Amino acid sequence: MALTLKEYLEAIGAETLTPDIDISQITITNGYVSDMLSDVMGTAKDGQVWITIMRHMNTVAVASMTSLACVLFAKGMKPDAAVISRANQEEVCLAVSDKQTFDLAGILYRMLGK
Amino acid sequence: MRCYKADLHIHSVLSPCGGLEMSPRALMQRFKELSIEWIAITDHNSLANCAAYAKAAAEAGIAFTYGVEIQTAEEIHLLAYFDDTEKAMKFDRTLYEALPPILNDSDFFGDQVVIDADENIIRIEERALSNSVVWSLEEAKERAESYGGFCIPAHVDAEANSIIGQLGFIPQNLDFPVLGITSGLILEDFLKLHPELAGYSFLRASDAHYVSDLGCGSSNLSVQEPSRIELELAARKLKDRKILI
Repeated sequence: MALTLKEYLEAIGAETLTPDIDISQITITNGYVSDMLSDVMGTAKDGQVWITIMRHMNTVAVASMTSLACVLFAKGMKPDAAVISRANQEEVCLAVSDKQTFDLAGILYRMLGK
Repeated sequence: MRCYKADLHIHSVLSPCGGLEMSPRALMQRFKELSIEWIAITDHNSLANCAAYAKAAAEAGIAFTYGVEIQTAEEIHLLAYFDDTEKAMKFDRTLYEALPPILNDSDFFGDQVVIDADENIIRIEERALSNSVVWSLEEAKERAESYGGFCIPAHVDAEANSIIGQLGFIPQNLDFPVLGITSGLILEDFLKLHPELAGYSFLRASDAHYVSDLGCGSSNLSVQEPSRIELELAARKLKDRKILI
């Protein structure tokens, strides 16, 4: 059965920063982990959850370009209000978790049955 | 208007991974041989050695601009240049406070040496200058500018620590009239990959950490005088100033 973004974000106890986006309707295909946006632009695929600690404004643009399911900020690295506002405009889902990247990726890996 | 052969991205003995042979006199000697007329010392996250090298440069008849290579929270290397040396050193203090209190691993990076103009060691900087400061790119730029600085993203074509590598592309809301490039870059090829950068000025520099690096990259600046103000005018291609690489 397909994994929804809602199931995953609940499992890790993440805070959703873009509440207008219906996360129960988003299916996760895979995950990607990187903090270099040039790398993410060239590699990440649509439907992936991107786990990062890079919280620059360009993160939203890159997520939008690559049609990612969600940008998940690890280690409580919450972006500032301007970034969240832009994500709402671009309809890019943002979430933040206190867990570290390794744990967030590990949980996703397990939930995807990989 | 005069044309100056300039190398505005050079590390001193203060920089981690910098050679201890980068002493002021050795540098000035080499610049004379290379006919480089205008330099800036741009150590990682510190301006502590600018005064010593400025004095040596003055004695050698080489123009000197105070500089620094800030590593932002996004691990982007951002060069900043100053004309007002007093303000520059005030900026240096706030920059130091923005650097995490983590100690330098001198076995790996080498000693971070602060010297005077006579090449006496004043102290060894213990805090790791190789780290990122807590400021974002925007914040670092704003803060440097508030102390009279002019900012240039360093080596934009490099894989590591470049604005394009870290952020994918240059944020449009940030005013950067000139972009730093690495010594060996063939700009024409780079612009084919990045046509969006066609309108920018470019500044080539050595980014030297060792004496043997000096001379590998420089730019010719057509300006009234060698200063941060004129550098900005040249970067913006104003009043007939320009940068030729």
